[in-house]
Amino acid sequence: MKRTCSILLAASSFLWTAPVVAEVRPHYGGTLRVAAKEAPGSLDPGSLAVTGPAGLTRVVFETLLKLDDHGYPQSGLATSWQAEPGNQRWRFLLRNGVSFHDGAIIDANAVAASLRAGNPNWKIVPDGNTVTIETDAAAPQLPAELALERNGIFRRAGNKMSGTGPFVIAQWDPRHLSLKANDQYWAGRPFLDSIEIDFGKDYREQLTMFDLGKADVIEIAPENIHRSLAEGRTVINSEASKLMALVFAEGPKSEDEAHARTALAMSIDTTAINNVVLQGGGAPTGTMLPNWETGYAFTFPIHGGAENVRQERIQGRRPPPLTLGYEASDPTLRLIAERILLNARDVGITLQLASTGAVDLHLLRTPLSSSEPHVAMSELAKALQLPEPKFSNSSVTALYSAETSLLHTQRVIPLIHLRSAIALRANVHDLTMLPSGEWQLANIWLSPEKP
Amino acid sequence: MATRKYLALAGKAMRFRRRLLLLFALTVVVSVAAVALIVSAMARRAFDRANDERTAALVAQFRREFNRRGDEVARRIQATAVAPETSRIAVAAAKPIPDYSVFLDDAQVLAEAQRLDFLEFADDRGTIISSAQWPAKFGYKEPLARANVPTTAFLKEEETPEGSALGLFFVRTMPDADHVLYIIGGIRLDRSFLESLDLPTGMRVMLYENLNSGSEKFAPEHLISASGSAEDALALAPLIREVQFREKDATAIITAANAADEETVNAIPLTGENKQLLGILLVGSSRRPYAELRNQIRSAALLAAGTGLLLAVLLSSWAAARVTRPVERLAHAAHEVAEGNWNTRVETSSSDEIGELADAFNRMTHELLDQQERLVQSERVAAWRELARRLAHELKNPLFPLQLTVENLLRAREQGQQQFDETFRESATTLLTEISHLKNIIGRFSEFSKMPQPNFQSVDLNELLKEVVKLHQAQFVGAKIKVHFQRPRLLGDPASDVRNAKTRVAADPDLLHRALSNLILNAIDAMPTGGTLTLSTSVEQHSARIAVSDTGKGMAPEECERLFTPYYPSKLGGTGLGLAIVQSIVSDHGGRISLTSEPGKGTTFIIELPANLDKLPAAQGTHV
Repeated sequence: MKRTCSILLAASSFLWTAPVVAEVRPHYGGTLRVAAKEAPGSLDPGSLAVTGPAGLTRVVFETLLKLDDHGYPQSGLATSWQAEPGNQRWRFLLRNGVSFHDGAIIDANAVAASLRAGNPNWKIVPDGNTVTIETDAAAPQLPAELALERNGIFRRAGNKMSGTGPFVIAQWDPRHLSLKANDQYWAGRPFLDSIEIDFGKDYREQLTMFDLGKADVIEIAPENIHRSLAEGRTVINSEASKLMALVFAEGPKSEDEAHARTALAMSIDTTAINNVVLQGGGAPTGTMLPNWETGYAFTFPIHGGAENVRQERIQGRRPPPLTLGYEASDPTLRLIAERILLNARDVGITLQLASTGAVDLHLLRTPLSSSEPHVAMSELAKALQLPEPKFSNSSVTALYSAETSLLHTQRVIPLIHLRSAIALRANVHDLTMLPSGEWQLANIWLSPEKP
Repeated sequence: MATRKYLALAGKAMRFRRRLLLLFALTVVVSVAAVALIVSAMARRAFDRANDERTAALVAQFRREFNRRGDEVARRIQATAVAPETSRIAVAAAKPIPDYSVFLDDAQVLAEAQRLDFLEFADDRGTIISSAQWPAKFGYKEPLARANVPTTAFLKEEETPEGSALGLFFVRTMPDADHVLYIIGGIRLDRSFLESLDLPTGMRVMLYENLNSGSEKFAPEHLISASGSAEDALALAPLIREVQFREKDATAIITAANAADEETVNAIPLTGENKQLLGILLVGSSRRPYAELRNQIRSAALLAAGTGLLLAVLLSSWAAARVTRPVERLAHAAHEVAEGNWNTRVETSSSDEIGELADAFNRMTHELLDQQERLVQSERVAAWRELARRLAHELKNPLFPLQLTVENLLRAREQGQQQFDETFRESATTLLTEISHLKNIIGRFSEFSKMPQPNFQSVDLNELLKEVVKLHQAQFVGAKIKVHFQRPRLLGDPASDVRNAKTRVAADPDLLHRALSNLILNAIDAMPTGGTLTLSTSVEQHSARIAVSDTGKGMAPEECERLFTPYYPSKLGGTGLGLAIVQSIVSDHGGRISLTSEPGKGTTFIIELPANLDKLPAAQGTHV
């Protein structure tokens, strides 16, 4: 009896627990609907015009290496890699059994051809299953650089582009992208059957789509993170993954101009901007890279406040008016630009806002493209059209020195590091974000929606 | 000749008519112009008065609309004050450490709900909690958040990111136990405000936003009208500057850029809470109706002037005809009298001044005739007396020797035969001489009375002169007189030389020879101690002139005047008929004789003769 009871208890226990286990087990099938603000101008990984949600193209075009949460390279299409002394020549051993979506087997020649498109200065030598990359100077961060989204491996056949990722491009136009599961994916078929992405939806439209059940995943503006959480949505946010900064078109031409830029930097009340305009969706900063990447950002002073205004108020001849450009389609940027205009006026600097035409300085919001700080710094400088930073080595000291030098050019005034955030419906599982804000879509699965 | 003179008279009469016409026309034009000016001035005054009334009505309408909108703003602010969002802001503001970050958009939402262009919330420290017009202004100070806030709507310059704007504002306070929340809101004073005004035809209303804190620079973009940007903004600039400077009402007449229309523009300053000049209301009233009326008046005046001028022409012609016709007759008659026709009379039927003048004229001619008759008679008597005196004088001179001679003969007869014979021979000689002298005197008188009419022939004056000189050559030598011939000249041109041209006229060569001979003899007598006799001829198309000059003692002017009087002797022993004969001959040729003389220098006789070609026999006419 005791044994029988034990068996019954065990059986009932199994029956009771079975649905629970079924709920957490990934489900195959389903279509993930995503709404995004920025539409990519192209899906070509080598194109600098690729925008849109970070990490989106990774599900189609994989890279040789990937970075983990800490910025360390992990294997991707390359299973191992090795640098020769001096970090100028690197050799990558390709993964076997990987094929492009069009069926072609990936080999060293295809990888070399793909990488050459986006890196014309590299000397890339394919050799059997190995690719050797030689750079002009020591490149200790080459593995991290190869992990950048723009270094995705692709094959072009006519107008059709093929990658090796878990999803295949089914249809694409600037407003919509359809991806379907790659049944032949080398790491196994993804759970989702397809992903449908609508581009060009502003944050309000995305929220509406989300609330009406027309989107499963949406972007959340930094200033709306708190509100979204307060309204009960499931929100995932990254570490600070974007830099909001004022970028000058050129360096100061005189001491007065340099002083005016210092005064302008000191006048901007970034704390008020972050707390009020961005609703705490970011963190005021004095550096280009966030503290989580460098560990030294907290040592840089954060500007703003009445005391700064009193100290930096320009006496005597007022500097000529400056034109501040901003992206007109972004109301938050406009609001911040207006606030900067007010702050600048307090120190005697006149700013004129302009959304088009030639400007003296820009208010920009630029994503950090890598978790590796050196690469992130280089990519950031490239994106902001700043001088290329020079690193003596791969140490943090060299990074600090390079960033300090860049800031001393007075071409850029870092303001706020912004977080990236997404809201997802309850049936969306295993969607994660890297600290850099990249979406990790490969392992997503959808559970059936509760009625 | 008479016809030509009549035409000349007629020409003068025309001038009088023109003057009369001018006077009439001037009177008409001046009268019409004066009337037109007076009517124009009255029309202008009436238009200006009507314009002032319309402007005042529009300004009153503006003020009513201003107040109505002010009340509307106050009502909307009141509605904002009772909104739940406002209550939440008030609660947050009452906290010791308020967090205003969540209210960033609230002002915008509430402003949109209440249709306010401007809305700000400020705490009792004056800190802006939320701003609709400039959301980025949170944390800045709002000057209106103070103890004494205006209780009515007022005009205010408000800063926005796009620049300053003019608004109608109202402030509402929400006092709590320890704190006060200020709600400051308003609406733009812009084109829609102007559009709400009911504008009469021909009027427009504009608003100049005197922004940027009292800057007195004129900015055309700040001038707005109901139809958008105001036309002719630059033309309004001086008026706006005047109001900016004086801060008082001003009026000006502006001309449109196309110069087609004029407009009276009244500028009324609009002040804010602290009496600062924030805007200028411009009420424009087209002067086109006045211009059209003025044009009509001008057209009517021109028409009246034209008609008046036409009437003036007719009237002046009629009046001139009435006035000038008797005058013309009088003038014609006067000329007739001047011509010697003293028997002329002027017929008149009027009894006015012209009639009296005609009567006087007729009396005058009658008197003249009488006087002439009397004068002729008296002259005739005087001539007879003079003739008798001259005859007596001329005859007395030879008679006295005759008497003495006869008395000598009688005495000689008594003294003896021998004495008688001797005396007889001497007396007979004397008697014969004196009788010859008497006969000579009688012959000359007889000759003068028998002066024949000229027998016209073609005469070369130079040749004739040479013949006369040749005749007297011996006398010239005896009197030591040099004869100088000047070459023929054209009349009026002393430098000309017509030596080769024929100086021919139609004349009686014998009579002319005699006249010239008399003049040359006179000249010889005038130069008893010698001298120079200068002879010259000059010609022109229809006349010729002969000059005879001597270098004798000359004559006084009074002698010259009486020189051609018959029986006035110009020299000792003369009969006084020589020059009278010369004058008679010249006169019979249709010419005239004159002289110039200067005592001590000499005398020049000038004979002017017409060509007289019409008096030649037909066969000679063309061969002169």
